[in-house]
Amino acid sequence: MAQAGKGRLNYRCPSCFMRDLDIDMFYDKDKQEYYCIRCQYRGSEADVLAKNEMARFRYGAMSKRYTDFENFSEK
Amino acid sequence: MDRFIVNIVHRPEMVPEYAEKVTGQGKAEDIGRGALLTESLDIFKTQQAIAHKNGLKTTIQMTYASLFNDEAVAIAKEHHEKYGDEISLSLLGLPCEQFREKYQTKDFCIWMFSMEEKKTIVRDVFGKFYDRFGFYPESTGSYYMDADLINFIKAEYPSVKCAVATCWEEGPKAYHTCNNSWYTFMDGGPWAPWIPSKQNTHAPAANEAEDSGIVAIPHLSRDLLACYDGNGSNFGTHPQNVLRGMIYDTKTWEYPYLYNLIDQYRYLAKFNNGYAYNMMFVGPGWMNKMGRWEAPYELLKKSYEDGCAYYGKLKKEGKLTDMTMSEFADFYRENKHYTEPECALWRDILYGSDKQLFWYCDPYMRVCVNMDQGGAIVDLRPYVAKLEWPVGIGTAHVQDASYPFLIQEKYRAGYFTHYAGEGTIRSAKICHNGEEVDLCLCRTHGHFSQEGSDRVLTLDPVEIEFSDLTVKLQTVLTFPEGTGQVKIERRVLSMSDPAAAVTVNEYMVACYGTTEYPEDMTSLTLAVQAGQQKEIIPYAYRCREASLAGADEANCTLPPIKTKVTMTCDGRDKTGYVREGYAFSPMFTLGYTGTLKEKEAFSTWLKLERAD
Repeated sequence: MAQAGKGRLNYRCPSCFMRDLDIDMFYDKDKQEYYCIRCQYRGSEADVLAKNEMARFRYGAMSKRYTDFENFSEK
Repeated sequence: MDRFIVNIVHRPEMVPEYAEKVTGQGKAEDIGRGALLTESLDIFKTQQAIAHKNGLKTTIQMTYASLFNDEAVAIAKEHHEKYGDEISLSLLGLPCEQFREKYQTKDFCIWMFSMEEKKTIVRDVFGKFYDRFGFYPESTGSYYMDADLINFIKAEYPSVKCAVATCWEEGPKAYHTCNNSWYTFMDGGPWAPWIPSKQNTHAPAANEAEDSGIVAIPHLSRDLLACYDGNGSNFGTHPQNVLRGMIYDTKTWEYPYLYNLIDQYRYLAKFNNGYAYNMMFVGPGWMNKMGRWEAPYELLKKSYEDGCAYYGKLKKEGKLTDMTMSEFADFYRENKHYTEPECALWRDILYGSDKQLFWYCDPYMRVCVNMDQGGAIVDLRPYVAKLEWPVGIGTAHVQDASYPFLIQEKYRAGYFTHYAGEGTIRSAKICHNGEEVDLCLCRTHGHFSQEGSDRVLTLDPVEIEFSDLTVKLQTVLTFPEGTGQVKIERRVLSMSDPAAAVTVNEYMVACYGTTEYPEDMTSLTLAVQAGQQKEIIPYAYRCREASLAGADEANCTLPPIKTKVTMTCDGRDKTGYVREGYAFSPMFTLGYTGTLKEKEAFSTWLKLERAD
């Protein structure tokens, strides 16, 4: 089995990202999967992208454009 | 004055941080490879073009490496002539073949070198700059500039009047985010421009004698809520940082958060006599052709274009003034005075909560008040000590440049602890017939006002429900300018039983440190005093307590950070107390208990002094 390398883009581990850790993943071309060198996450590119979307759950106002910074009744 | 000012800073960094590690993966290290140098310069040119296209002037911070590059020097001269850009000098971007050959090290953070090496490098870099441009720069900077470094630069090169001098709340959190490999420990500083004292960069100067002679600006303008809790490098006026945080729609490539962040900074003018500030400083490594983490180059570039376009739009609408760093230093000196605080009432603009913080910074303290915890003080830095804190090789703090805290709710717990012990917080408990409610559990919001030289934070009243009594209580925090004191007043607006009385327990649990880990507390001394009576507890982790009815003050002296913190009180039946911690709870507590009835107030003052 050949050594791992970097994939098309430099994906971080989505599981570690959710605990505020930025760790580049490496790509295993034989298994066609990204894997984390620190935790136990591994997955395809599609799975990484899906998990990255999931990681955004905490950004409840990510799409909101604020016009007032003291009015808390504005939702 | 009604001004929102932006500094846009670019640096031709010939070997961008990250680029060699990221894009060079799988290749042996070679920081002199031609492709890297060409790409780096191209990114710098792209950034300059984007700013100029939007009618914005920049500060070009030449790096040591770029001073060896004729094209970079020529571009800087041309853009100075054509666009009014300032030619400045950064102490970032030291890595290059010439530097490594000369200094035989891979260190690149100027504040981590020994003082002798700092002097040698500064003379080398400034001398090289003079050779290329025929003058010395008026501004400089790094991620952090320690006081000894600033003092040396100002003495040797008096033309320098502005410097990028810290990254706000970049400390253990950033270290952890980078898998414990990014050694920028610089928590506890101001988030907006300030005049550093000669003794400690993070602590603003209180007067001319303490004035280091420069105006400092932060590296980026950061989210005052998100950065305090999470990774600072995701939440700042750095478009690619926002991408790093994944705070964008992957389908539309939109990121309203970036504009909310800029706009909330604009809003801070309301609390600072009409003045607000932003800084954008994107190193070329963030716009490399290989992409950056999940973001392709096209998105990296788009985000920078959008960021500049928004600043450009604000400028066209007359809502923004773009300045170079040296221009800003002149403006700051003309419009601010030493003891004038920086205030920020800041709301959550990312997570969708209603959380709100109030940040206060002056030459005597930095304070964070959390309205989601009933107006508790959740972070406190005693700038009044002007703590001498040399950093770099050969000192006691090779990397740790953070200003120590007395209270830090994230590193040393706040209200919530696991089953035992206490966390650092300044709050109050209201008690009635054996029931007790901590104001930390009373979520509310605050409103800012300026009354003379006092900055006042008035919280919306909260209701405290006991089994047989409801109390409507309001908290007001007052920061009298130039005193190093905070007054906290609890006002009982009404009670369901107008004849009832409640007990109030004003308390501050504190310790000291710069990280999550406890320090040796045995040099601390606790004291409570009432007239000639005085009880003293030398800290020995023995869980002792002392109290005196009618106490004049309760205090703690902390020799390791040369700070004395004192609580005084004005209220019915007041009793002051001090409490020692124990090994599993290495804290100390200062407090006052008393009685509150309807329409009455109970006031305490927190006073910070240098201990020696």
